[in-house]
Amino acid sequence: MSTSAATLEWLFRPPPSDAGIDRKALAGLLVELARNVEPEFCVQSTGVPPVDPRLEQLRTLLLGREIEIMSRLSELVEDPERLAVAVGQVLPTAIAHASSDARLGQVLAPALERATQSSIRSDPRTLVNILHPLIVPAIRKSIGEAIDKTFQSLNESLKHSLTWRGLRWRCEAWRTGTPFAEVVLKHTLVYQVEHIFLIHRHTGLLISHVAAEDAASQDPQLVSSMLIAIQDFVRDSFSGVEQQGLDTLRLGELRLWSEPGPFATLVAVIRGNPPEELHETLRSALSQIHAERHQALESFDGDSSAFADVEAHLTECAALRQRARQPARASFPWLVAVIGLVLLGLAGAAGWRWWQNERIDAAEQRRWAGAIARLRTEPGIVITEAARQGGAFVVSGLRDPLAIEPETVLREAGIDTNRLVLRWAPYEGLDPEFVLKRLKTSLEPPPGVTLAVEDGRVVATGSAPARWLERARLAARLLPAGSPGLDLNGVENTDEAATAKLLQATKSLRETIQSREIHFDSNESLPAAGQDAILDQLARELKELASLASTMRVPARVTLTGHSDDVGRGTLNLSLSLARSGAVLALLKKRGVDPDLLSVRGAGPLEPLNAEGSVTARSANRRVSFTVGTEEQQ
Amino acid sequence: MTATVQNATVQKKICVLGGFGVGKTSLVKRYVQSIFSETYLTTVGVKIDKKTVNLSDRIVHLILWDVAGEDDISSLRMSYLRGSAGYVLVADGTRRSTLEVALSLRQRVSADCGPLPFVLLLNKNDLKEQWAIRDAELDDLRQNGWWARSSSARTGEGVEDAFKDLAARVAH
Repeated sequence: MSTSAATLEWLFRPPPSDAGIDRKALAGLLVELARNVEPEFCVQSTGVPPVDPRLEQLRTLLLGREIEIMSRLSELVEDPERLAVAVGQVLPTAIAHASSDARLGQVLAPALERATQSSIRSDPRTLVNILHPLIVPAIRKSIGEAIDKTFQSLNESLKHSLTWRGLRWRCEAWRTGTPFAEVVLKHTLVYQVEHIFLIHRHTGLLISHVAAEDAASQDPQLVSSMLIAIQDFVRDSFSGVEQQGLDTLRLGELRLWSEPGPFATLVAVIRGNPPEELHETLRSALSQIHAERHQALESFDGDSSAFADVEAHLTECAALRQRARQPARASFPWLVAVIGLVLLGLAGAAGWRWWQNERIDAAEQRRWAGAIARLRTEPGIVITEAARQGGAFVVSGLRDPLAIEPETVLREAGIDTNRLVLRWAPYEGLDPEFVLKRLKTSLEPPPGVTLAVEDGRVVATGSAPARWLERARLAARLLPAGSPGLDLNGVENTDEAATAKLLQATKSLRETIQSREIHFDSNESLPAAGQDAILDQLARELKELASLASTMRVPARVTLTGHSDDVGRGTLNLSLSLARSGAVLALLKKRGVDPDLLSVRGAGPLEPLNAEGSVTARSANRRVSFTVGTEEQQ
Repeated sequence: MTATVQNATVQKKICVLGGFGVGKTSLVKRYVQSIFSETYLTTVGVKIDKKTVNLSDRIVHLILWDVAGEDDISSLRMSYLRGSAGYVLVADGTRRSTLEVALSLRQRVSADCGPLPFVLLLNKNDLKEQWAIRDAELDDLRQNGWWARSSSARTGEGVEDAFKDLAARVAH
């Protein structure tokens, strides 16, 4: 084995691509190895050839795998693209591992802040979308509470704005420069926090409970679980949002306010009327507890011994109260009270006097109004003006002279007539009563006629002579338009009735008379025996006829016709018939019948009753018959 | 101010589950501390009782959520089970179907809340002549690692033991 210093020199000088190998030491080591194998081997360390392929071979044999890995790694490390891919693959796991290290947060915070800032700058909507579900309920709740608070203060302000206390509080507000509503709230909201429960949300177990000194309650562990159960119940039943629950329960003057936190819920039992700010107080206590004991709350497993320090916060909340102010008896302001009483007395007396006057006045006013109203209902009176002028009562209007005396009405209604001034203009009223009155005066109805108002018309009933009826009809026609009208249909015309009656009587009398016959024996000119009674009757009837005719102012005429039978000569018979009628005329005249009424004629045998020619017929034919002629028939 | 939370104690939420009419309410009634009336069961669907168990090293307050009994598992308010440390399953030993309800309840709870400690009580064992569960079945359940026992609301048999066992398991 030969070697030269030059080769060793080369060996000692490391190639640029192969740093880190101490070639001189390596060569020495190899020479040492060779000497151990063969003690005679002797070579100067400088005698190693500059390029000895065996050395390279040896290196490859020994370190080939490492060289390969190294070259892969160096390629990976030196190529940023590939390095990024490789790191990206392990980054989540790495962060997960490092998350327990507080430094990670610190290191990342600035970068995250910058990233967030630039994200918001480029498109704020992304962040808005992310935060929306978190922020909106919070904002809604906050606004709700603000409105509640406003309403509460408004309510209280209104309630107290006009009382003595209210005035005092206004002074206080003005003096201290605080809004009035706040002063009112300060004085009126009387409440006391009686219990504070800190309840683990997940299990419903009680973490801590503090009660005010005088507050009584059931086992707080049971109560807290039930509270959570009820919240679950409400949420399940009415499908509420997970993060929301019952935040207020109210039973009489007890209120339960519940403030939910991430792990624990703070429930306050409050007696009275708490201000809305108390929500904020409770919430800040809860957030403080969460901030301090975040870990412990998260991993709470029913052992509350670790939360002794939380009690301090709860105790603070449970001490919250606003007591009602006791009236300060010792410093009762006597002077103010006395002055007040005196003023009150004076005001009362003045008020009494004023009230009395008012009362009298009001009574008089009522009486006056009543009287006027009554007067207005009277027919024939039209009030155009009714007023009190000074002490006088002035009434003016129209008055029908037939109407009632207005003064009477007013006096009856209790109005002092000395203070009355009445101004009436006359007019003719068309009230049915007045029309009736007027008609009664002008028509002078006869005793058989009654005039009355019926359905707004004047109706006449009874019977009256034609002349009066005529007048009444004329008067009815002359009534003014729109007046009630006069109905005369119910009045019987007495004249017409009488005439009709006379006519009827005349007619029947005529028939009676015409049915009469005076019979004669054969060849006799005087009536046969037994005809006297008929003649008497006939005479009475004829006299009645004469009187009727004179009443009716019509001429009447009764013709006596004498008849004979057909036995014997015609001329004889004719004269016999005439003699018969003359005899009857004479007999009637004798019985007082006016002969002017009567006339005679002889018909001989020409108008027989019966033309049979028998004895009986001939006997019947021997007679005097009567024919009554009146104007009617002429 | 008085703090009512004691130091050497621990509270655990325990659900009491069982089919309709298995008598779970009357089973625990005599052995627990209660302030709410039974109407809560029909109105709110749950009634909270407390059972205090003295173990050797600590006192365990079992806050019992007596969930309204329903044979229809789907209508069970699962929100009431949230945060439970363990549960008591109650079945009626005289009605086989209630044991099946209890078994399906266990599956439902396991699916929702994971493997929680529980005890199974077969109630009404004073009605021996109507008993519908064979001892072998109970033994089988015990072989599977179940704590199962027959009980009686009338005699109180099994109830205290069940609470004690459950308390020991959930408090560790």
